[in-house]
Amino acid sequence: MASERFARWSRGALAGARWTIALLALMPDQAFAHAADRGHVLLLPTGHYLVGGAAAVILTFILLVVAPLPALDRLARQRLPLGSVPVWPRLWGSAACLLLVCALVAAGFLGSRDPLSNPLPLMVWTVFWVGLTLVQGVTGNFWWWIDPWYAPWRLLAAISGWKDGFVVLPVWLGHWPAVVLFFAFAWFELIYPAPDDPERLAVALIGYFLTNLAAMLVFGHEQWSRRGECLSVFMRMIARLGVMEAGPTADARRSVALCLPGAKLVNAEPLPPSGTLFLLLALGSVSFDGLMRTFFWLGLFGINPLEFPGRSAVMGLGTFGLVATFVVLALGFFSAVGLGERLASAAGNMLPAAGALVWSIIPISMAYHFSHYLAALVVNGQYALAALSDPLMNGVDLFGTAGLHVQAGVLMGAERAWMLWNLQAGAIIGGHVLAVLVAHTIAFRLHGSTRAAAYSQAPLAVLMVAYTVFGLWLLSSPTGA
Amino acid sequence: MNDRTKPSSLLTTGISRRGALKGLGAAAALGTAPGFVRYAQSQSSEPIRIGFQAHRTGIGAAYGRWYERTTAAAIKRINDAGGINGRPVEIITEDDGTDAARGAEVVEKFANQHKTDIVYGTLFSHVVVGSAPAAGELKMPYYVVSEGYHVASGKMNRYVLQPGITDVRAQCRSVAPWITSNVGKKITMIYPDYAFGHDHRDFFGPAAAEQGGEVIAQIPIPPTESSFTRYLPQIPSDTDVIYHVMVGPAVLTFVKELGEFYGGSGPKLFGFIDSLEAVDINSPGLEFLEGSHFWEGMPRYLQDGASEHEKAYREAVGLDENGASINDAKDVSTAAHMFGCWETLYIIKAAMEAAGYRGPEDRAKLVEATEAMTEFPEGAEHPQGAKVFDGKVHQVFGSQNISVVENGRLNVVHRTSIEDGRYEPEADYTTQPL
Repeated sequence: MASERFARWSRGALAGARWTIALLALMPDQAFAHAADRGHVLLLPTGHYLVGGAAAVILTFILLVVAPLPALDRLARQRLPLGSVPVWPRLWGSAACLLLVCALVAAGFLGSRDPLSNPLPLMVWTVFWVGLTLVQGVTGNFWWWIDPWYAPWRLLAAISGWKDGFVVLPVWLGHWPAVVLFFAFAWFELIYPAPDDPERLAVALIGYFLTNLAAMLVFGHEQWSRRGECLSVFMRMIARLGVMEAGPTADARRSVALCLPGAKLVNAEPLPPSGTLFLLLALGSVSFDGLMRTFFWLGLFGINPLEFPGRSAVMGLGTFGLVATFVVLALGFFSAVGLGERLASAAGNMLPAAGALVWSIIPISMAYHFSHYLAALVVNGQYALAALSDPLMNGVDLFGTAGLHVQAGVLMGAERAWMLWNLQAGAIIGGHVLAVLVAHTIAFRLHGSTRAAAYSQAPLAVLMVAYTVFGLWLLSSPTGA
Repeated sequence: MNDRTKPSSLLTTGISRRGALKGLGAAAALGTAPGFVRYAQSQSSEPIRIGFQAHRTGIGAAYGRWYERTTAAAIKRINDAGGINGRPVEIITEDDGTDAARGAEVVEKFANQHKTDIVYGTLFSHVVVGSAPAAGELKMPYYVVSEGYHVASGKMNRYVLQPGITDVRAQCRSVAPWITSNVGKKITMIYPDYAFGHDHRDFFGPAAAEQGGEVIAQIPIPPTESSFTRYLPQIPSDTDVIYHVMVGPAVLTFVKELGEFYGGSGPKLFGFIDSLEAVDINSPGLEFLEGSHFWEGMPRYLQDGASEHEKAYREAVGLDENGASINDAKDVSTAAHMFGCWETLYIIKAAMEAAGYRGPEDRAKLVEATEAMTEFPEGAEHPQGAKVFDGKVHQVFGSQNISVVENGRLNVVHRTSIEDGRYEPEADYTTQPL
């Protein structure tokens, strides 16, 4: 019976799909792609910002050519020790976070089907992916304290006795597992038609969590969260931008010190090529998130941005775009580093230099993250507050915010668009200026002289100027999808 | 700010505003809430389940927000008054991502998983067109609030109905007589070069000609265009009226460049507020619109002569005098369209009551009962105004508003008659089997 019904339904659906395609081609359609806030930005003198942003990055590079790099280097090494803290809260932080994840997954299955009323998609995409990333980038590795895998791994490792796993994660594998997982994550976020659907997200989250927990048991928590589980890898990397540095102490506590933003990037161990590619993929995915909505991108492929057909219709194109953005960015980065190494010395070795210099794109990655997701954070953050108070939408009001009226107007109108644009442009330009500073300091350490550093950095500076302009252009272009 | 009138409104008023839009699994909780004792006398206190196909994400999200608020307000009012056939109404929201393929999936999910009584609320035409075959196949009454001509064209199926909002063809026809007699007869049309613009081109031109007007130039603009200066010289110098229906983020640029092109003089302007739904009319760049006219489905700004019903509707939805949220003056509503949600829900209520609707087995009866409706008088259920329903084409007809921009506000200067928008029907769904 059921199969018969299914067959009948499939035939009907197929016939329906054919009709749909035919009708879509023929049907008059109304457009509601409204003159949203990007419309106000289109009236702003954004061209001046593009020129100004490029000039700021160029000027920073020129100043660095003549600046006393040893002083900059010393500045990057400055630390203000704050003492040490016990590490026991880590286990409780992790357990609490795991409990929250479980509760959210339950809400994903049992709560509202509306992605703006169900706390799961709001917590995952807005609070975690946007909010926590920004917290990490500004402060430091907060994720270390709340990593939800840590507590269950400790428990399972204690029961099984596999404290360091039972297989050594091969060195040659580098960060490739993380690259593959991050690509899957970005694809799910940007290309998959329904990443916000509470139930599908809950299923994806369970699958992701358990797979990685198993991998942590096999390879050890530390190794897998350094090179495998892509969110931990990303969070750990982005935390190097933050102003707090923590590390183990002799008495099993955790030392805490303050440093300048980006200073930890200069001291970071060079990444293997796979690690370098991981960071480029992370930046590429946020860049493509902006690019794929522009009139320019949609127009290239004959998609009318005013009647964007929906994600289902552009999955192939989106996958291509995500890969292409990453490939173009990686080619640009490796070419710039390679050329720089040649200019600086005949014996320039590109891959290690790339592994060290790639840390300098973290401020850019952070700036893109901030600029592209600021609006989502401000509006969907309010939906999250409401949803957390009434997670199953059955009328409870846990924190008194269940009936919160979401102030979408906070970002509406010309004045707010101007504010938002300036914050975004400021972040993009600031991020690139910091990136040039970090890259130059790393280059100074690699080459040992101001002159060689300048030569090695010239091509990368050109790339950074181009990426500044690209970033500002993305945020000032008309968008439709 | 808080949407709830009282913290315990779930218990005291039957259903809170947020509570009106329930998720899956909420039915049991609703059924046992003390506020629902009033439903006990009906044959079944099981809620009527309405599947709300909502544009919560994707290109339609800004409209989706206001469709959701209007839906919540209407459901609260319906439930406060005893529900439908003595049963509470529950809304189950599924996001379609403003995606045609997901639209069909959502309809299927409503039918098979949530087992809703009907599906309702879709705005974007491509989602309606994508979902309609599934609704027909599953024999699921599908009440859309989309404004497209697709329903009346006969290209959908017997289960697709649009009883709460007029279609674009009727809107174009309605405004033609007023434009030709009050603004001018020589008309230049500027429209985006795709289906939406083509609708206006194809429906307005003949309607204007019938009234003695003449479209002297048609200027299609490629949808990806973001600057218009090179198109503006194509406007003939003897143009009386520019009929513009540009949409998308570049609308503000379009108006600004038009103003710069004419430098404060030039032909008169007539537009559709679709261009500027949810956008403050006082935004920089829109100064040139002062004195120009717009079609509005329902007035955004509270008018002097607004009926008590209209005022009550605005209060229930939470609109201030400027058509923005009472909680958030910058959050301008989609006032010209969203009333369609309110009115559609009341038609569903009336049709279910007329059909003696008990459950999914009565879906065909519900469609027939809707088709049998002919007139909706102005009132609390129809605050936009009286309407006439044509059961053969599953489409409602009503009055349109023509407003002028005066001192940064839209003031209604004319209300068209229902007859102004009528056209020869091109279909008869009632001949299709149920």
